Amino acid sequence: MFLLVWAFSFVASSPIQDTVKLAEVEVYAPALDRFAQGQKVISWTKKDLENYQGRSLGDLLQEQSPVFVRQYGAGMIASPSFRGTSAGHTAVFWNGLPINSPSLGQSDLSILPVTAIDQISLQFGNAGALFGNEAIGGSVHLSTSTDFGKGFQAGISQQFGSFGLFNTSAFAGFSSKNFSSKIKVYREFSKNNFPYNDLGQIGTPEVKEDHAQFEQIGIVQDLVWNLNANNQVKTAFWWNKTNREVQPVMGSNTNDEQEDQAFRAAIDFFHFEEKSVWNLKTGFVKNEQLFNASQNNSTQYFLAGDWDQKISDKWTSKLGARYTLTKGDLSTYQADDERIELYQSTKFSATDNFSFALNLRQLVYSGTFAPFTPNLGMDWKFWNTNTQALQLKTSLGKGFKVPTLNDRFWNPGGNPDLLPEESLSGEIGLTWNKKGNLNWTQSLTYYKMSVDNWIIWLPKGSVWTPENIKKVSNQGLEYQGSLDGAIGTWNWELTTSYTYSKAVTTKGTDENDQSVGKQLPYTPQHQANAKVQIKKSGFTSFIATNFVGERSVTADNPRLMPSFQLFNFGLGYDQLTVGKLQVPLSFQINNMLDTDYQVLYLRAMPGRSYQFNLSILL
Amino acid sequence: MKLNQLFWAAALVTVSFACSDSGDEKPLGKYDNGILIMNEGNFGTNDGEVYHLNPTTEELLPNIFEAENLRPFAGLLEDMILEGDRLYLVANTGKVEIVNPADFKSLGAVASELDQPRSLAVNGTKLFISDYGPYDDNYGTPDSYVAVVNGLDGGVVSKKIEVSNKPEALFSYGNYIIVAGSEENKIEIIDAAQETVVTTLDLEASPKQFHAEGNVLWVYSITSDDVVFYTVNLNSLTLGNTYTIPLADATSRIAFDGDDEMYVLTSTGWPDYNDAVINIDIEGSNATATELMTGSGFYGIGYDHNSDQIYVANSNGFQGNGTVTVLSETGSVVRSFEVGRGPSGFLVY
Repeated sequence: MFLLVWAFSFVASSPIQDTVKLAEVEVYAPALDRFAQGQKVISWTKKDLENYQGRSLGDLLQEQSPVFVRQYGAGMIASPSFRGTSAGHTAVFWNGLPINSPSLGQSDLSILPVTAIDQISLQFGNAGALFGNEAIGGSVHLSTSTDFGKGFQAGISQQFGSFGLFNTSAFAGFSSKNFSSKIKVYREFSKNNFPYNDLGQIGTPEVKEDHAQFEQIGIVQDLVWNLNANNQVKTAFWWNKTNREVQPVMGSNTNDEQEDQAFRAAIDFFHFEEKSVWNLKTGFVKNEQLFNASQNNSTQYFLAGDWDQKISDKWTSKLGARYTLTKGDLSTYQADDERIELYQSTKFSATDNFSFALNLRQLVYSGTFAPFTPNLGMDWKFWNTNTQALQLKTSLGKGFKVPTLNDRFWNPGGNPDLLPEESLSGEIGLTWNKKGNLNWTQSLTYYKMSVDNWIIWLPKGSVWTPENIKKVSNQGLEYQGSLDGAIGTWNWELTTSYTYSKAVTTKGTDENDQSVGKQLPYTPQHQANAKVQIKKSGFTSFIATNFVGERSVTADNPRLMPSFQLFNFGLGYDQLTVGKLQVPLSFQINNMLDTDYQVLYLRAMPGRSYQFNLSILL
Repeated sequence: MKLNQLFWAAALVTVSFACSDSGDEKPLGKYDNGILIMNEGNFGTNDGEVYHLNPTTEELLPNIFEAENLRPFAGLLEDMILEGDRLYLVANTGKVEIVNPADFKSLGAVASELDQPRSLAVNGTKLFISDYGPYDDNYGTPDSYVAVVNGLDGGVVSKKIEVSNKPEALFSYGNYIIVAGSEENKIEIIDAAQETVVTTLDLEASPKQFHAEGNVLWVYSITSDDVVFYTVNLNSLTLGNTYTIPLADATSRIAFDGDDEMYVLTSTGWPDYNDAVINIDIEGSNATATELMTGSGFYGIGYDHNSDQIYVANSNGFQGNGTVTVLSETGSVVRSFEVGRGPSGFLVY
């Protein structure tokens, strides 16, 4: 079911199709990889995400992608690390809007529920030119979608499981030929009272976690309306609120509580012409976080437009601009920030098998120019038969990270003189694709990157302040494979991935810094996952595993956390019907072998858990 | 840091009261001689630990709590108090671990009911633990207390004695526990039997550490511009002399050489953050302050009276392990070496 899909060449068929036809039958979504030649992209469709209903984006990425997720406990903060970079080096988008907190410069993946999302794509490596700020290690693209012409649809889904898990969601939608609307509401709850061995107590007794309760509620609303054959309006709205007891690190008895609330809205207007698409986009993202009594709020308003045109059979181009107004109202400061960015992408398709893209972007924030970011990429399918193909992808580009509002304005300590972080990276990958009785996709990518002016917060007396101090160099290998076939009437599929990541500090804080030449903290060199799935007439079963290698607690590596490997198992049947109702059922065991592990030092993680899922679909 | 001085205080107490176990003949344990290096650990990581240094051979044993007990310390190590056959490891994350100083094997703990313990003193068979108490919504600590535990090997907290905000060092003398009330500039004196505050002395500076010589207790106190030493007459429990030394930006970290000289860390803090090691010499009513070393990131100080050397700990920004630099009495660098995370003090046996 889950597919690690390589971004295949979209050279042959131009995504901009006959405009009239497109506008009538499809909800238009600009393809993520339209100008991402040479870059690695992995995607999950709505179907692929079914096993992750009721779980977070963090769980999905940890178990099914080469991304390492730094998890602070069950349901607690989960931050992504792409290719050995930090959470602040990952841009996260929802329906095309950047949703990283402008004060923190990152996203907490534990409060991005998969239930609220219909499609997920990951793009790896520098993409400052394509996606802008913070797309250094990679970027995450979340989107919601609706269909035309499906009439009335509705459903309710219920999950219950170990440690007080109780998730409920319901959706209803209506669509005609030119209008489509869908609403989804959900509540996710877990007591998270899992047992663990408390290493902070004499005799390391088994105790139950008593301060990690998680509750999340939300509403997602999508609407698309074809005004006429040439114009489409699309809106998306998402409200999500999470209340958490913050799980203490072992040895501490803190009782912190955190409430996170996010309002996100995106409005797109598309105008289709013979050979071009105009997009006017506006929206806002409002984050409100209450940590104990400390309130930190920010709002970003966006106004953007772009023009995507097919100049000739060989040339395609996109020109756009975006204005962002950020208003930060934090516990220790208030600050506004204005950003303007211009971007331009050009694709040249020499043949169906050979294309280049050149992407450029310039961002200006509060009157300061961020580094100019060009990116050049190439896709070359140099061997192509009826059943097999070999494709070479390569790209070279720059990325940047503007200092966050906290970096610049936090009082005390904020450093208004910080420079943006700047990165340079290149990658080369080979994909071998075969179709037949046995299908496979095998790909191997080598990447190398460096990040300069890396910002870290250092204590200066009793005050911590950020500085542009480190330089980091990363390189690694990523393998992805998928294999599928049939044995009799059983279909099977195997997906595997392995990542080797070497991310070392090349310039440290000062002459005492022992981290130079050593692997970055909490960055495993080895990571792998695999999943086998079998299917037959509505019946599905899978077993999946993920391995995370040793990782250090600090940059100078004196203390290593042991590697761990977890197994998950699932069973489902989706052809049960009661009258007109479809009643898909499934059952999952997470951490099947009850492995005792921590992702981060002294942060307890749950052992084996069970989860039952029941849905009723109209 | 207060350790060296507390060692002397402990020695004094031991001598003064001739504890019953002081005459035992025992084989020397692995850690019986040398210098214990306290590494506070990083906030949110709870990776505090103790290193052991043999200053003669320069052999350094890392993470000795975890090595001897096969579990991590799992806390931020705020203070180490040696009392006879027990070493109390005070974690400001909410516990006190008690180990045998000879082999570092766990003897017990105070594992619950504490909030942010800072230091500890022993009186008879009771433990007294200074604790900031929980933070309120504005990160104030209006509910600070001194916790009482009956039993030298830990156990449950039997009483919390309310004291002024942010109590730091404690000193046990006779039937009394003397408390450094750092935020409200008070010395509070607790009757150890009644477990109540019986006397409060008001100061003009924030008291941080105690140092006993004879019947006189020296109180190391600071303001933003001065270092102030008060003396407390231990027999009458009244304030005696006051010595004010103009020295800006002194921190709570101090080491005594036992001979009227002491070494203080200063830090200008944000935004210039220039740190220094200052030697203070008190002769009669005269005090002189001499700068021995400057730098950034100084986090702890100790004095080895066997070699007359000064130990200066640098946190290296908590990004990883810290460093210790050994200085001669005149401030020349003897050597330096890597220790654990956030090194903050020394206990010289």
